[in-house]
This record gives sequence, structure tokens and C-alpha cells, in this order.
Amino acid sequence: MFEEDHGHPAAAPVPEVSSQDGAQGEAAGGATEAATIAPTQETVDAPSAARAVAVALAGWLLPGLGHALMKMWGRALTIFLTVGFLVYLGAGMRGNVFEPGGEDAFARLGYLADAGTGAFYFAARALEVSGSDVSHADGDYGTRFLATAGVLNLLAALHAYEAARGRKA
Amino acid sequence: MVPLHFSHFQSLLLFALIISLAFGTLGRRKPIERVKYAAWSFAMFLLVGIALGWLMYPFSK
Repeated sequence: MFEEDHGHPAAAPVPEVSSQDGAQGEAAGGATEAATIAPTQETVDAPSAARAVAVALAGWLLPGLGHALMKMWGRALTIFLTVGFLVYLGAGMRGNVFEPGGEDAFARLGYLADAGTGAFYFAARALEVSGSDVSHADGDYGTRFLATAGVLNLLAALHAYEAARGRKA
Repeated sequence: MVPLHFSHFQSLLLFALIISLAFGTLGRRKPIERVKYAAWSFAMFLLVGIALGWLMYPFSK
């Protein structure tokens, strides 16, 4: 699970300072970014940006898929398992799986967070056959587990996007 | 599915373990750094969670 990931796909166009990694690379990228990006790179970056968006969307729809497309197998597996396990626990604890069109801001925000799990949102709905029960602490914690799963998956999708753009990995 | 029941502390442990694992894997590249960061994150989750629990304890009465 903790094997070293490949930072970038071999065939991806690499803009800026993507060959560097970690804090050093980010710091150097921040300082030299303006200088290294030439106007002519717009045409080179366009396919890369579209691919990065596709990677992020894939990562959102199926947790871990974005990193899998980037051949970051360890991260892909970890994201899939952690998001999946959080959804399983949240549904098992009878947490609230929010539906679209909530009446108040909390319900709408809750739905946004739950929808962050992508396809796992429907898995949570399917798993929770007896409905939610937030009258006990279990259900309350379950609601948080489900929301956390969604937010974590959105974070992972953003990470996959950044990796696809060659910014950090 | 069978309903799952956990105590408050068990829920905290599960949450901290899962999120720390994800943080470590996403936040660091080298395996040893991932383990260290996940362990540190896990410890901080527990420490802060328990500290907040004790801070709120007077209001539970």
C-alpha cells in the first residue's frame, strides 16, 4: 500500500517545474513559475488541462480512479478503501444520507458533502435499507463519516488534478 | 445490512485511523514519511479529540 508512486504519467506533457517534488519543488515552482511559462505554452497546456479535468472527474465519480489513471496505484487503492470504508461505516451506523433539494442550508451542504463520494453515494443509499436514525450517537457519527468520505474524495480528486497538471504529487 | 454500533471512543479511533491513513498517503511520497505523518496525524486526532471531550465535560452536567 505504501509503495512509491509514479509522480507523473510518462506520456503526459509536463509544464513548469514538474520534475521536482515535495516542498522544495513547490517553493521553486512558486518563485519561477511566471518566468518559466512562456506564452507559447498555452497550446501545449490545453490538452494537459483537459486531461487533468478528466482525471479529477474520474476520481470524483469513482474514488481512486483519478490516481489510478495517473498510475499512482498506492494512492488509488488507499483512496478507494478509505472512502469505501467510511461510506460502509456511515451507512452501517445509520447516518443521514442527504438527498438533493434539502429544505435548509445544512441539508444542502450535507448533500454536497455526500455527493462528493461519487458512485459510492448510491452505494450508501442502497446499503441503508432501513433508513437513517440520528436519534442515537451512532447515527450522528455515521452522518459525519459519510460527509467526511465525500470531502475526502473531493480532496483526493483535487490532488489527482494537481498531479495531472504536474504541480505536485 | 446489519446495523453497526460503536462507542464514542471506538468511533473516534476508527475515524482517526482511516483519515490518518488517507492523509499520510496523499500528503507524502516516501513510504517512511507516509508512516510518520499518518502516525503523527493519528496521535493528534486522538489527543485533540480527548482534550476537547474533557473541555466539554463540565457542560454535560
